[in-house]
Parts: sequence; C-alpha cells; structure tokens
Amino acid sequence: MADDSEPGTLDQDTENAALREALGALHAAVWGYGVVGAALDAGSQGLAQASETALRDVRDQVVTLLTERRADPVRAEGAYSLPFPVLSPADAAALAVVLEDGVSAAWVRVLDQAEERTTRQLAMTALTATEVRAVGWRGTAGQTPVTRAFPGLPTS
Amino acid sequence: MSSPLPSGPRGFSRRTLLAVSAAGLAALATGCTAAPADEREKATSQQADELGAQVAVQETVASAFVAAGAADPALAAEVADLAAQADEQLTRLRAAAPGASSSASAPVAGAPPAPETRAWLRAQVATAAASHATACLDQSGARAALLGSIAAGLSGQDGRLA
Repeated sequence: MADDSEPGTLDQDTENAALREALGALHAAVWGYGVVGAALDAGSQGLAQASETALRDVRDQVVTLLTERRADPVRAEGAYSLPFPVLSPADAAALAVVLEDGVSAAWVRVLDQAEERTTRQLAMTALTATEVRAVGWRGTAGQTPVTRAFPGLPTS
Repeated sequence: MSSPLPSGPRGFSRRTLLAVSAAGLAALATGCTAAPADEREKATSQQADELGAQVAVQETVASAFVAAGAADPALAAEVADLAAQADEQLTRLRAAAPGASSSASAPVAGAPPAPETRAWLRAQVATAAASHATACLDQSGARAALLGSIAAGLSGQDGRLA
C-alpha cells in the first residue's frame, strides 16, 4: 500500500504502516520462541510458554485490526534467520531478550506514528507487557542491568 | 517446508525485529522532539501542559529513590542502577518539555524505614509508570513515544522491585 501522507503528518496510513511493522516483529517473535523453548531448561519453560502465548494474543489483535481496516496485514515468514547460534539455555534466554526488545521497538514506533488514541492504548499495553517480560529474560540470561530506562527507543 | 534458518537479509536484528525507521525516533534518542518544522510534533497547549506535569511526576519518582536510599542504605546500593535510570528519564523528559517548571526538590513523603522501604519505593515507581502511561495516550508523535517508553521502563523497574 502506498503511503500518500504528506511528510510529517500522522494519519491512518502512518498508523497502519507502523502496525504492520509491529505485526512483522510479532510474527518473528512467535517463531523465535519456538527456538527459545527448544533450548531452555525445564525451569524456564513456563516463562517461555507464557511469553509466546502473550505475543500470539497481541499478534491476533493486530491482525484483526488491520484486517478490519483492509490494511493488508503482513503474513509470517516460513522461518527467520537467528542473530546468533542458540546452543544453550543461556543462548535461549538471550534470544528471548532480542525478541522482546525487537517487539518493544516496534511498539514505540507505533506510539510515534499512531493517529488514534485507541491504537496508542494498544501499543502502550503491549509495550509494557513486553518490557516486563524482557526484564525477566535479561535476568535469566545473566544480563545487567535487567531494566532499561528507555525500552524500544533507539540508543543515542 | 521452508528452510528453518535461512541466511540473508531477513534477520531478526536488522529487518524484522528492529524495523524501526530511525527518522521518526532519532530525535528522541538525543532528548529532543522532532524539528520545529515538523508539523506533527507541534504540541497543543494542553499537550504541553500535560507533558510538563509528567516532568513533575518523574521528579517525584527520582526523589523517591533518594529518600528510599536514605531510609535503607542497603536498598540504595541494590537499586543504584534503577535510580540512575530514573534520573536519565527525568533529563530526557525535561529536554522534551523545555517549558516545564522544574522544582528544585519535588515533594515526596518520607520513606519508611526498612523493611517497608522497598514496598514504598515500588509503589512510587508503579504510580509514576501508570501516570506516564495514561498521559502517553493524549500525546502524539515523539512525545507519545517518549512517555510510553519511560512508562514501560518504570514498569520493568516495578517488576524488578517485586
């Protein structure tokens, strides 16, 4: 879909484009959690399953929203390349951090591009849930600090 | 069935997961809203007032870390990274709301002694997170993105303090 918006304006085209990017990140994250779950130890499986379920739920919300708008929801790829080999539980937790951070960035982009308040509500709720999950995964991965001052924002 | 791990440009880190155009958010990364010529970044007076109010909210939570540290030195050491992040957030918010009046010492009730200090601090952080999240909804563009990010960051701190 072409973006006919004038530069610098927010409208449903900018919003839908950002939502499509978020949907792409959600598709990838859901796929990625399959890799995470395969490499985690038993003690972290519950967190992985809960994270994947939460992402699937939000993904389905975004698909529904874009479909209702006839805004061409992007489809999931068959597979995605990994940023690093996932060979251990620590690798798996680190991948989960990458997945959640990627989704956070996409939701911040939605906040930046959204025209409608209801869309910002969706993005805010999803961004918060994503960062809370990411805090848990950073701890599991042994990363410090486990929190971020500005989740989803590009680093300066 | 497709190859499970295809190589190429469709990687997590470069395209799909981080599909964020730098243009719209780059200004936020340096603490500024977008250029004045950018029409969408012009705040209404109400939005400007509300962003200024969130500066005060952030001042309160930053002060809460100081008060909690005074009440419980062991906790101060444990949450030093969180306190630093709260200060970073305050700096960024002030830059985004240059018209906001800054209070030299935001009013915050005294922190209770240990072992109640942590729960008190957690409540302060959670309150600020909820306030920023609500305020985010009535902002737009870079201001909404900044407030939303800070709200999420504080929610993460809330979880860490649990």
